[in-house]
Amino acid sequence: MLIEILQQTINGLAIGGVYVLIALGLTTVFGILGIAHFAHGSISMSGGYLTYFLVTAQGMPVLAAIPVALASGILLGLLVEMLAYRPVRNANHINAFIVALGLTMMVEGLNLQLFGHEQVVIPTGLSRVFRLGGITVPELRLYVIVAAIVLVIAMMIFVERTKTGQAIRAVAENRDAAILMGVNVRTIPLIVFGMSTALGVAAGIMVGALFAIAPGIGEGLVVKGFAVLILGGLGSFPGAILGGTVLGITESIAAGFISSAYKDVIAFVVMILVLLIRPQGLLGRAP
Amino acid sequence: MKRFLPLLPWLLALAVLALLPQLLTVKYYLHLSILALIWVVVAQGQNLIQGFTGYVSIVQAGFMGIGAYGSTLIGLHFQWPLWATIAMAPLITALFALATGYPSLRVKGHYFAIVTLAFNLIIVIVLVNYSELTKGEAGISNIPKPWGGSREAFYYLALVLAASLTLLAALISRSRVGEILLAIRQNEDLVAAVGIAAWKYKLFAFVVSAMYAGLGGALYAHFQGFINPEIFGVAQSLDAILAVILGGSGTIAGPAIGAFLVVFLPELLRFADSFRLILYGLILVLATIFMPIGIVGIAKAAFARIMRREARHGG
Repeated sequence: MLIEILQQTINGLAIGGVYVLIALGLTTVFGILGIAHFAHGSISMSGGYLTYFLVTAQGMPVLAAIPVALASGILLGLLVEMLAYRPVRNANHINAFIVALGLTMMVEGLNLQLFGHEQVVIPTGLSRVFRLGGITVPELRLYVIVAAIVLVIAMMIFVERTKTGQAIRAVAENRDAAILMGVNVRTIPLIVFGMSTALGVAAGIMVGALFAIAPGIGEGLVVKGFAVLILGGLGSFPGAILGGTVLGITESIAAGFISSAYKDVIAFVVMILVLLIRPQGLLGRAP
Repeated sequence: MKRFLPLLPWLLALAVLALLPQLLTVKYYLHLSILALIWVVVAQGQNLIQGFTGYVSIVQAGFMGIGAYGSTLIGLHFQWPLWATIAMAPLITALFALATGYPSLRVKGHYFAIVTLAFNLIIVIVLVNYSELTKGEAGISNIPKPWGGSREAFYYLALVLAASLTLLAALISRSRVGEILLAIRQNEDLVAAVGIAAWKYKLFAFVVSAMYAGLGGALYAHFQGFINPEIFGVAQSLDAILAVILGGSGTIAGPAIGAFLVVFLPELLRFADSFRLILYGLILVLATIFMPIGIVGIAKAAFARIMRREARHGG
C-alpha cells in the first residue's frame, strides 16, 4: 500500500512537472498582460509535434531537435503577441479571450493539417528503469522531473535576479509607473510571450515523450493549467509550482486507486471546490 | 405607424422564413435551415449571458447535451410521451445550471470562462464514461421523432420556438432585469455599490441561457434521431460564442443571424474541408479585432449614418 502510494507519487511528480511548466507560462502572461492565453496548450503541443517530426522524419537526435523546437516555439509566441493580442490590447478583456479561442482553433487546425489525427510518441530510446526498494523509476521520468526543476529554477533566476526580470515585475505591479521609469513596455510583452512559450514547448515535448500527443490534448492541458492557477492563487509563482505538483500527484494517486477514466475530472472538481471554499487560491492573498 | 417601423424587418424575415419550405427545392437546405433555427435558440441563450451580462460562458454545448440526453433517456426509460420529455429538458438543464452557476459565477472574466469550459469537459467525460446509461461514445440512435419524422412539420415547430424565444429574449433585455444585466456588463462594482445583489441577476441570466441550450439540445436530439457525446463538446460551445460575436453581441437580431452563419458557413467552406478549423479560427480572430460589434452593429452604424445625412439634406 505504502509502496504503491510512493510509486504513484513519483509518477505524479513527472506529470506535475508538466503542469507546473504550463501553469508558469500562463501565470506570467496573465499577471503581466492580463490575457488568459488559452492557445498556450495547443501552441505547446505544436512544439512537441515539431520535435517528433524532426526526430522521426528528419532523423535528428532528440537533443538536437529540442533546441530547434524551443526556438520555433519562441518565434511563434512572438508572432502571436504581435499579430493577435496586440491589436486587442486596449479593448475589453473578453475580446482578448475570444481572440485566444480563435487562435486555439487555428493552431489545433494547423497541428491536424501538418501532423494528422493519429497520436504520436517522441522516440527517446531511454528505456532503462531504476529500482529503489520496491519502487520503479523509469529513466525518462526521472529526466523529465529533473528538467522541469532546472527550468523552473532558471525562470525564477531570470525573473528575480536580472534587469529584464525586474522590468517584467515592474510592469506587472504598476504599468504606468514602469513606463515613467523608462521601462520599454512594447518589448516586455514580447519577452514574456517568448519565455512562456519556451516553457510551454518544453512541457509539450515532455508530454510527447512520456505519454503521447494527439488532437485535443493541448486544450485539456491548458484548462488544467488554469485549474492550477486557480488552485495556487492567480499570478503567484509559488502557487503555480505548488498547485501543479499537488495536482499531478493527486491525479496519479486517484488514477491508481479510484478510476483512471475519471482522473481528468479531479482537476476540475478540485478547482470548483477551491472556488467555493477559498476563491483566492491556496497561496493567493485575500482580496 | 412610426412606432411599428422597427418591427418591419422582423415581420419581413418571419414571412420569408415561413415561406422557406415552399421556396427550397433541395431537401438538404431544409435540413440545414432546421439546424439553423435550433441554433438560433442556442445562440439567443448564449447572448443572454455573453452579450448582455458580459460573462463568456463556454458550456452552452454541454448544456445542450444535458437537454438532449435528458429528454432521450426519460423517453427511453420511463416511456413518457415525446412532448413531455422535450418540456422536461430545459428544467433538467436549469437544475444543472443552478448547481454549476453558483460556484463559477464567483469568479469573473476569463476565469468564469475557464470554469464553465471545465464543466463542459466534465459533462463530455461523464457522457463518454457512464456508458451503462448513455451508451458511451457510440451514442444513442433511433431517438423518436415527432410527426413520423416529417421535415416540414419540424421546420415550423423550430421556427415557432426560435421566434418566440427570440421575442422572450427581447422582452428580458428591455425589462428591469435586462437593464441590470447590462449594468453588470458595464460596471459590476457599481451595481453592487448601489445595493443590487448582482449575483442573483447573473445566476438568473446563466440559468435562463442554459434552459435555452437545454431546449435546443432536446430539439436537436429529436430532429436528428441520433446523439453522441462528441456533438456536445467544447468545439460546439465555441460555435455558440462565434454566432453571438459574428452576428452582434448584445443585440437581438445578432444571434439569430449568427446562428444561420455558423450552420451555413461550414457548408460554404466545404471546398476547404481540412482547413475549416483554421479558417474558422481566423474568422473569429479577425472578427473580434476588426468588427467587435458584429454584423448587426455595423448595419446599425451604417443605417444611422444614412439617416443623419438625409436629415441634413432635408433640413
